[in-house]
Amino acid sequence: MKIIKDKIASLSFVALLMALTAAMFYTPTASAHGEKSQAAFMRMRTIHWYDLNWSKDEVAVNETVTISGKFHVFGGWPESVDEPDVSFLNIGIPGPVFIRAGSWIGGQLVPRSVALSLGETYDFKVLLKARRPGDWHVHTMMNVQGGGPIIGPGKWVTITGSMSQFVNPIVTLTGKTLDLETYNIGNIYFWHAIWYAVGVAWMWYWAKGPIFIPRQLAVASGKANTLISSGDKKVGIAFLVGTIVANAVLMGTTNEAYPVTTPLQAGTMRGIIPLELPVPSVSVVVDDATYRVPGRAMQMSLTITNNGDSSVRLGEFMTASVRFLEPDVLEDETGYPDDLLAEEGLTVSDNSPLAPGETRSVSVTASDAAWEVYRLADLIYDPDSRFAGLLFFYDEAGNRQMVMVDAPLIPSFI
Amino acid sequence: MSASQSAVRSRAEAVAVSRTFDWMILFVLFTVVLGGYHIHFMLTGGDWDFWSDWKDRRLWVTVVPIVAITFPAAVQACLWWRYRLPIGATLCVLALLLGEWINRYMNFWGWTYFPINICFPSQLIPGAIILDVVLMLSGSMTLTAVAGGLGWGLIFYPSNWPVIAPLHQPVEYNGMMFTLADLSGYHYVRTGTPEYIRMVEKGTLRTFGKDVAPVSAFFSGFVSVIIYFLWHFFGKWFAGTGFIADDAS
Repeated sequence: MKIIKDKIASLSFVALLMALTAAMFYTPTASAHGEKSQAAFMRMRTIHWYDLNWSKDEVAVNETVTISGKFHVFGGWPESVDEPDVSFLNIGIPGPVFIRAGSWIGGQLVPRSVALSLGETYDFKVLLKARRPGDWHVHTMMNVQGGGPIIGPGKWVTITGSMSQFVNPIVTLTGKTLDLETYNIGNIYFWHAIWYAVGVAWMWYWAKGPIFIPRQLAVASGKANTLISSGDKKVGIAFLVGTIVANAVLMGTTNEAYPVTTPLQAGTMRGIIPLELPVPSVSVVVDDATYRVPGRAMQMSLTITNNGDSSVRLGEFMTASVRFLEPDVLEDETGYPDDLLAEEGLTVSDNSPLAPGETRSVSVTASDAAWEVYRLADLIYDPDSRFAGLLFFYDEAGNRQMVMVDAPLIPSFI
Repeated sequence: MSASQSAVRSRAEAVAVSRTFDWMILFVLFTVVLGGYHIHFMLTGGDWDFWSDWKDRRLWVTVVPIVAITFPAAVQACLWWRYRLPIGATLCVLALLLGEWINRYMNFWGWTYFPINICFPSQLIPGAIILDVVLMLSGSMTLTAVAGGLGWGLIFYPSNWPVIAPLHQPVEYNGMMFTLADLSGYHYVRTGTPEYIRMVEKGTLRTFGKDVAPVSAFFSGFVSVIIYFLWHFFGKWFAGTGFIADDAS
């Protein structure tokens, strides 16, 4: 019996060790960017990304991918988030797996922070150059000072090849060509090694003799002054003078080697030009809106007026990067991320063409598991229970109009 | 052997034990300082020390020496007043730099693939040697604070210039001017560090034109003097052995 018990105990121990070892080796890639945990109102009522396009799904190292599209800066920006007076067009990737070869808003290169205006729409483009092989989730992202990162839709992009092949050639204004990936690294190692050696030499000089007990005894017995000899002082002066002279000489030789240097470039860029969108001829009034928790559906009662000269139909409702499409009107052909696309998610009680001059009250339902998956349903727990989004109307010729909606939302729990 | 007998039986054995004790304590001190100083420095110097596009001529020059003189001052107090060892500052900085280099190489490069030329640590060893030598020559906390602290602040920029000057060469990129350091910061994406967090070239030293680094260095040196005093007293207090009955008496 004892033998069996011992065997069970030892096998259990081995199993425990194996489990621990397996757990240590199980390190799945963390690929999400926390977009689902961000408060729903942040995603619904700040930056609305649309017309997004990722130019490629797969690239080799050194090839480029372009992410382009538009973003609308919501006019009803929530009070609890600082306004986007200082914002930075970022990209959500797990470290520098791509380099950001360029980013533009309204055609202006934006390497630094910019001031955005509420209610305006901007076009943007981010050029990424592939660096590290793997499958990476690439998000659009706008960082807002005082607001945090406002993450947009993400799409998987695969990089193939080897990172050792990556190059980042740059030509300086003094005509020097260099590879920014490796430039100056030898110089950094060299000077750090030299000074570390000097520091170790100083330490070694003192550590080669007795350090703690004898010296402590000497200090305690009033013989502290005998512990620093004139020889020590000479060595100390040599280190001191050597250090100061070496730095003075190095400063001079460095300035000779690099006669043209400039300070770091900084400062917020203002005057970014928004898109000049035509005033929509469709006006929408939200009479009421409810979110039905059990059905994962939002229902809006809208009064729509067509002030244009062509009949229109509602084709899409987009909020927090989730697109609810009315399949009779619109089919996505852009390769938008599947998890953010509800291809048959929009139902309109009467979506027959709305004639010019006509006003109609309709009930619109946006339903999809995305409400739950993307935690948009958490909106009902926000302190300011409102929703916001973009409605896209299409006329007979396929022309599109964008209308912003923003209204209180009442949750329904039954 | 009873508890009251000595563990060593000859002078040679006593010397050997003392030396073993020296190296053990030195190793423990080095690693403890490495951990404590490193955390302190990451929390206070942080991004200024992490990234090449934060190493500017105003705030980096000002902030880093001020927050970095803390542990050297405290450890100097302990090693000097108790052992007359003028190695406190150098020991701290060597420990810090070893920890930083392990972090930058293993984590910044090895784990997240930032090139070393964007995430190398600042050079602090020349300033540490000045602090230690001034303390050894003067034997005075006040003089070390004033002359050493000022020297610590003043030598910081020159001692880093051979490494950062190449990264301050200008580049034209898509119609805008960058330094190579700026371009590295832009190219190598830091998702969690938006550009506006970068605190560089802010301040009111406009009347000094382009030559603000010496002014910043002097200011940093002055504040380092004050911080030196403060942390020297911390070190003295922390190195006290009042909790031992014999010493307390």
